Parts: sequence; structure tokens; C-alpha cells
Amino acid sequence: MGTEQAQSPEPQPKRKRFLGAFGAARDVMYGMASHDMSRYAIRTRASMEHLFILITMGDLLGVPILPPYYSLRLLPYVVPQVSTWKRRMLRERDITDTLG
Amino acid sequence: MAPQTREQTDLARVFNEHPERRYIMFGGKGGLGKTTFSAATAYWLARQGHRVLVFSVDPQASLSDIFQQDIFGKGPVKIMENLWAQEIDADSHIKAYQAEIRQKILDMYGFSEVPEEIEHYIQAASAEPAMEESAIFDAVVDIVVAGDYDYYIYDLVPLGHALYYLSMAKVYDEWINKITKLREEMREYEQVSKVMKRQKLTEEDQILAELLDIKSRINASSRILTDKEKTAFFFVVVPEEMIIVDTRNAAELFSRFDVPTSGYVVNRVVPAELAEQNVPEYLKNRIAMQQRYLGEIRQTFGDEVLAYVPELERDITGLPAIERLADIMYGGASQR
Repeated sequence: MGTEQAQSPEPQPKRKRFLGAFGAARDVMYGMASHDMSRYAIRTRASMEHLFILITMGDLLGVPILPPYYSLRLLPYVVPQVSTWKRRMLRERDITDTLG
Repeated sequence: MAPQTREQTDLARVFNEHPERRYIMFGGKGGLGKTTFSAATAYWLARQGHRVLVFSVDPQASLSDIFQQDIFGKGPVKIMENLWAQEIDADSHIKAYQAEIRQKILDMYGFSEVPEEIEHYIQAASAEPAMEESAIFDAVVDIVVAGDYDYYIYDLVPLGHALYYLSMAKVYDEWINKITKLREEMREYEQVSKVMKRQKLTEEDQILAELLDIKSRINASSRILTDKEKTAFFFVVVPEEMIIVDTRNAAELFSRFDVPTSGYVVNRVVPAELAEQNVPEYLKNRIAMQQRYLGEIRQTFGDEVLAYVPELERDITGLPAIERLADIMYGGASQR
């Protein structure tokens, strides 16, 4: 084991190291310039996602909104969101919602 | 209008003048003879060499009774040369659809069984009363879009259901437009974030693709129902006060939904000549009442009344009886 470990940190190829440095620089630039905008876009995207599910799958909450025949067709795509979305819709709002 | 007539009736004339009208519908209150008229019309068109499908969108379909053959849920069944009949089995359609949804969930996420919460939803959604109508609506799209026939004869559900069916098309369409727009906006936001993070662009939005598909199916169906060129909608009336009033109201509603009304067919007319024979008072009164309401029908619907069909001495079941009715409705043309 010990000998293997001693050997393992192979010297990185030059190109890869350069890319790493470049990538880090790119990340820094990204963080300075557009991280906030991107985060805003993601958050907007997320709340629209919830709005979308509310409109299409509202009867999961007992709000019959759309013809169930066609909502079934969309069901497979929202399976992963169903549990988190229900939690989000049904939980009480508190101070932490205004943070972050 | 005697069965021996060899001349074409007004109803036949409308068909001959508008060969482009391929979607034929008979609407009216329950039990007035929509299904028998659908069957006779299908028979007449088939005898003229057109490929005809008569199908029922009524969950309580009675085409099986008329053709004296069990065709329920068996797809298009050939009745005779050029004539097929179909009764949509909404229940098994829904079951197959549910199974498809479940399988898709299992495939997409590699589950061995559908999560309980999701399964509950599938069950609950399928218990909705609108489910049956929607399933039939959806099945009809497949039938008419396939385009295998020259004529499609819709044996429509009673008026109330037909209106529901029509308004459903309109509501669905508006609803889907809104949802699709939202979905497209969502995709834009996602793209903005992806571009900023220099990530690969997202793969196709599958939900959006499904929505667009649903939309095109609904549009295909409602386009046919409201197509002034290719669709003919006939109301079936009988000489009775309530029926006339209801039909007038329904015709108004239908025109509001842009359904092209092509005319009216009066059913169950007791031949007036009978009154001169030695018949009981009861029948005489009935004939007098009918004559009064026939006058009202002529006054209300005028030229649009295309045929008067007499009250026949027995039910229309089996091909010979259908042929006889077709002769009455369309004249001798069915003799080729």
C-alpha cells in the first residue's frame, strides 16, 4: 500500500495543469461577474417549475385544475419533484424563507 | 317520403352537393334515433362505393344492437362491403393508458414498482368522471387522424355531452396554450443559466414535447368538429314540444362553438293518412298533436329540414331494416 501511494501522485501532464489553472480562473471570473445573475435565473426557473406543477398537478393537493387524462401523460416527468414540491407547498413559511 | 321513392331526398341532395363533407354527425337528445340514422347513413354511403366508418363516442353505445353483432371494444369491425363499425371501449382504453404511464415511470427511473403516492394519483385521476369522455375523445383522434376511410360517421352522445365534448376541446386548447407558453419561458431561463455557467445546452424539454403533442391531438379533433367545409352536423328532432325547444337552444349553443349545422331530420312522424282510417281516438289525438308540432318545426327550421322519417312498426335492427330506413332517408339511391 505504502509503496503504491508513494508512486501514485503522478506528475500531471502540463496541458491538464494549464487547463486546471484556466478553469480556476474561469470560475473566479464567473463568480465575480455572473454568479448572482445565474443564481437568480436558477431560482426563477425553480419557482416557475413549482408553479407549473401546481397548475398541471394541482389535484394532487385537492385542487382540480386540469383534465386528469392529460395530466397523467405528464406524470412520469414530475415523479422526482412530487415529494419535494408537496413539502414546499404545504410547509409553513418562516423567517428563513426571507434569507438566502 | 314513401319507402318506394326512387327520387333522391333533400338529405341525399345535401350529401351529393357536398362530397367534401367527410365527417358526418347526428346529434340530438337521447333516444331520438341518432344511432339508427348514423347506421342508415353509413349503409347508404357504403352502398354508393365509399369506404365508411361509423363509430360511437357514447359510453352507452348501441351500434352493436343495431348491427346485431358484438363490436364493443373490438376496433373497426367490417359489417359489409365498404362499411365498418366501431364502438370505443373507454374502460379498457383507460386501463391500457394507465399501464403505459406506469411502465414509462418504471423505465424512466428504474423503479421496480411505482411509488405509492404516484400510484394513488394514477388511481384517483382515473376515477374522475371526465376521464371516460377524455379517453374517448383521445381515441377518436387516433381514428380520424389515421384517415383510412372516405367518410367518418360520428354517432354522437346526447346533446349535453356533445356540448361538453366540444367545449372541452376549446378549454383544452386554451389551457394548453398557456401551459406551453409557461414551459417555453422556463426553458429560456434555464438556457440563460446554462450559458452563463458555460454548460452544455439542455437536452430537449420532454414535458414541452408532450404538451405540444397533446395540443396537436386536441386541435386535430376540434378542428374537425368545427370545420365548415369537411363537417356536416345534423340535428335529429321529433315532433314534440320539449324536443323542439331543446333543439333550438342546442343549435344556438352549437353555432356559438362554430359547429356547422347542416340541417335537421325529423324522426318518429306518425303518417297523417292514418287519421282518416278507422283508428282509435288516442292515435287521432296523437296525430293531430304531431301535425301541430310539425308546423312548428317547419316554421322554426324551415328549409333546413331535410327529411321526415315515419314512425316504423318495428325497431331498426339488422341490415335489412337498416336498408329500409336508408331508402326512406335517402331515396332509392342505395339500390345503386
